[in-house]
Amino acid sequence: MSNEIVKVMQTDAEQSIAPAADPVVFTPPIDIFETPDGLVLLADLPGVILESLELQVQDNKLTLFGKVKPDLPADARLIHQEYAVGHFLRSFILSDEVDHDRIAAKLNQGVLEVVLPQLRKSEPRRIQITVE
Amino acid sequence: MPVFRWGQAWDPFHDLEREVDRLLASVSISFSGLRFGREYPPVNVYEVTDGLLLIAELPGTRPEDLEVFVTDGVLTLKGKRTGPDGVPDDRYRRQERLRGVWQRSLTLPERIQEDQMSAEFTNGVLKVRLPKAPATIARQIPVSDGNT
Repeated sequence: MSNEIVKVMQTDAEQSIAPAADPVVFTPPIDIFETPDGLVLLADLPGVILESLELQVQDNKLTLFGKVKPDLPADARLIHQEYAVGHFLRSFILSDEVDHDRIAAKLNQGVLEVVLPQLRKSEPRRIQITVE
Repeated sequence: MPVFRWGQAWDPFHDLEREVDRLLASVSISFSGLRFGREYPPVNVYEVTDGLLLIAELPGTRPEDLEVFVTDGVLTLKGKRTGPDGVPDDRYRRQERLRGVWQRSLTLPERIQEDQMSAEFTNGVLKVRLPKAPATIARQIPVSDGNT
């Protein structure tokens, strides 16, 4: 477990982050796959638009929070329900191998794609020693 | 939601309790993700002034992979979702998102103007507008006197 680059956090801690006024918060399903440059994370966030998506990295924790505002006519009356509508929240622990400064993300048709590039191994720097 | 509770919560067991709760919570998440025994995709139907509005969440589906059609009062939704191109299965660290080909048919509850239907797909949400057919005027059937 310790060598995982991205650790998927437990969900109970996340519930407390959600604003209390919003009753339903879901854990979105995700995929994580490796590429030659690092990792890519995909999360299903149907109904989330760019303006209502918060993606942040604090210390080693990557948090995504997508707010869903149902876009319905005022007179719409629910007559058949098979799924509940709510916001999406999930957190991940990033290892030090992820280059935090180069994390990039895009949102397309309700899917968030976060690119987590691996930190480039820095060349050893030679330190000049002077003799007094 | 806490499921497992030790009768007298001694401190050494507190961590165990939390660990078991966490495990059970993760199990229920994967189950709801798979939506066992349910038809895919789940839909919500709203009644609006001029008809019905059907909504389904289909994140990551390309509009060209989506088909919506109606015949004789049966609405059929068809589509597929593929994974990212060129990523072999052994590259996955985690795979929770569903993919594959699906089809679902729904019987419409009332008369719908099939030629007036429209559908839009934005932000991974499909909305199908089903306008109600106008109430037909009752046609009088003349009754003739059978004796004449």
